[in-house]
Amino acid sequence: MRKKITIEGMHCASCIANVERSLKKISDVEDVSVSLITHKAIVNLKENSKVSDEQLKQAISKVGYKALKIE
Amino acid sequence: MDLEEKEIRNWKRKLIMAWAITIPLIVFMYSRIFFNIEFFDATTMKIIMLVISFPVVFIIGFSTIKQGIRGIATFYFNMDSLIALGTIIAYLTGIIQFFLPLENYSGVSAMIMSIFITGKFIESKARGRAGKEIKKLLELGAKKARIERNGKEIMIDISEVKVGDVLIVKPGEKIPTDGIVVRGESSINESMVTGESLPVDKIKGAKVIGATINNDGILYIKATKIGSDTFLSHIIDLVEEAQGSKVPIQKLADQITNIFVPIILVLSILTFGGWMLFNGNLSLSIGAAIAVLVIACPCALGLAVPIALTVGSGMGAKRGILIRRGEAIQTMKEIKFVLFDKTGTITKGHPEVTDIFSNNPKGEKNLLEIAASLENLSEHPIARAIVEKVNLKKYKEVKKFKILRGRGVEGIIGKDKIIIGNRRLMNEEKISLKGIESHIEGFEGEGKTTMIISKNKKIIGVIAVADAVKDDSARAIRALNRGGYISVMITGDNETTANAIAKQVGIKEVIANVLPEDKAKKVKELQKRGRVCFVGDGINDAPALKQANVGIAMGTGTDIAIEAGDIVIVKGSLMGVVQAIVLSKATFSKIKQNLFWAFAYNVIAIPLAVGGVLHPVIAEIAMALSSITVVTNANLLRRKRI
Repeated sequence: MRKKITIEGMHCASCIANVERSLKKISDVEDVSVSLITHKAIVNLKENSKVSDEQLKQAISKVGYKALKIE
Repeated sequence: MDLEEKEIRNWKRKLIMAWAITIPLIVFMYSRIFFNIEFFDATTMKIIMLVISFPVVFIIGFSTIKQGIRGIATFYFNMDSLIALGTIIAYLTGIIQFFLPLENYSGVSAMIMSIFITGKFIESKARGRAGKEIKKLLELGAKKARIERNGKEIMIDISEVKVGDVLIVKPGEKIPTDGIVVRGESSINESMVTGESLPVDKIKGAKVIGATINNDGILYIKATKIGSDTFLSHIIDLVEEAQGSKVPIQKLADQITNIFVPIILVLSILTFGGWMLFNGNLSLSIGAAIAVLVIACPCALGLAVPIALTVGSGMGAKRGILIRRGEAIQTMKEIKFVLFDKTGTITKGHPEVTDIFSNNPKGEKNLLEIAASLENLSEHPIARAIVEKVNLKKYKEVKKFKILRGRGVEGIIGKDKIIIGNRRLMNEEKISLKGIESHIEGFEGEGKTTMIISKNKKIIGVIAVADAVKDDSARAIRALNRGGYISVMITGDNETTANAIAKQVGIKEVIANVLPEDKAKKVKELQKRGRVCFVGDGINDAPALKQANVGIAMGTGTDIAIEAGDIVIVKGSLMGVVQAIVLSKATFSKIKQNLFWAFAYNVIAIPLAVGGVLHPVIAEIAMALSSITVVTNANLLRRKRI
């Protein structure tokens, strides 16, 4: 399963690293790629994963950024 | 408003406010140092500096200070942490110096914040430029569609369009979504999606792609795909995902970026301690520590690769070349063999009439009419090729039509019995091939399939059919040969046919008689001799594309195999492969350049700061310039001609 998250507030390379690190800590997250250009994180979750959008949002707000939209 | 613009506007607002306060501050500070003009006495000046600097650092820089401290508190350090610490410490010197003899860096804190904001503003603008092609792609989709309701044409929002709706597209308008033409004809500009610069003619039954532009006629289009299922959405997904994909060379830079900020924090403390220990001058020690904090720039290092990848993939997307995995860019420079699948890649993938030979020099028209009228009743691909080529308005009446499986067709036109088929059929019917034998052999030697046409048991002509080579295959393969690659073709055809095609397009090596399921195995064998880039259609060739070091999947212009291939060529032209290789190499060398600068900058700048050579303001200027340089350098990739 693939989620596309639009994130506000990232402005530097360490922001990207932080968001990636925080999202990767969620179990069931297989792969994360965050782009400063598109302001988006693409998260690949394991099949039948129970990770909720809320969990993803929290992982992002924990490190100081805001998830605007999860698709 | 999108995030990019919002970010730029935000930095710009802060920039104006910050300098509006900082410039007068600088005038006060330096008029005393340089011109010995004193506006106020020393104590008043100290207080004024604290008062003026406060809003710059703590109000205008609020989000930076907040993020930075939060980063330190949660151990998710970021570059704001460095700036926050640097400016706060600098500011505090302005207070401490009332009690201790110490240089006053409070004015410097405002300057650091202002320069940081300026750097961020310039960098975010340059970043916006780097992503401009991608942004264009994201905004390409149509917003509205014209539809007929109750006999009236009305505009509806694109989200209201349902599969099966018939949409009306006037000249100059965007095709709202993927669909099939049900009425009308026009030429369509598909360049924004496929990179194909020539307009494509569309008639009834043709597939159209959403977001392309209708040039001249009115088209009625039945929507076949909407929303996230459309061709454009797939392309966007692909390009967006590629933005965050990693290039192996960046691994070290990423690892350093991850631990960069804490290391700098420690280094800054050590710098302070070291200076206090060996020099003992508190002012110098604090100055050096602040310089270390603000000179270190994780951005140059962390952005070096992704920003170049963004520019490269954007340039590709504009030309219908979609780079899916950053890894392919790095592997591309080691490729020795470019292995092409024949059918559908080098060739068009469906037969076309290539030669017509008529026994009677004036009878060609008649020959074609007879052949097309008969073949029009058959669904065989070769029959379709003949019908398409002749393109009759009206067919002759055919009686007693029969398909002779594996051999040909027969029927009666007027009073004449017509038999069209291969050699075997002619032999069975005891029709002599005398006189045309040499022509047939000639065609077969070129790898073509021949259809022999007979009238009342006498040969009247031959039509040769072949899976024609795409227009630019030969040009592309020659370009690769010149570039030092070994071009190889893989096919299920026999060697005669395969060699004929290979010769025609300039292929160096041929692997013939390969069953589709063995293609991946053949790729593996070739890999023993060097790295292989496999070019195939992505539908039948998925395992071979995966096995190859770089897999390039060819789209057809309206369809692409998303899952296969490291790079996807939307329009399926082999020149796209050449462009993809050139682009990958150019992007990779830009990546290396950027990494070099980023490393060199930090390796030189940080020791200088530790050594106390650089004033904190100079350090901050250097930091801002370093990340701007990396982004600007990436933008220079555009100068490369692809």
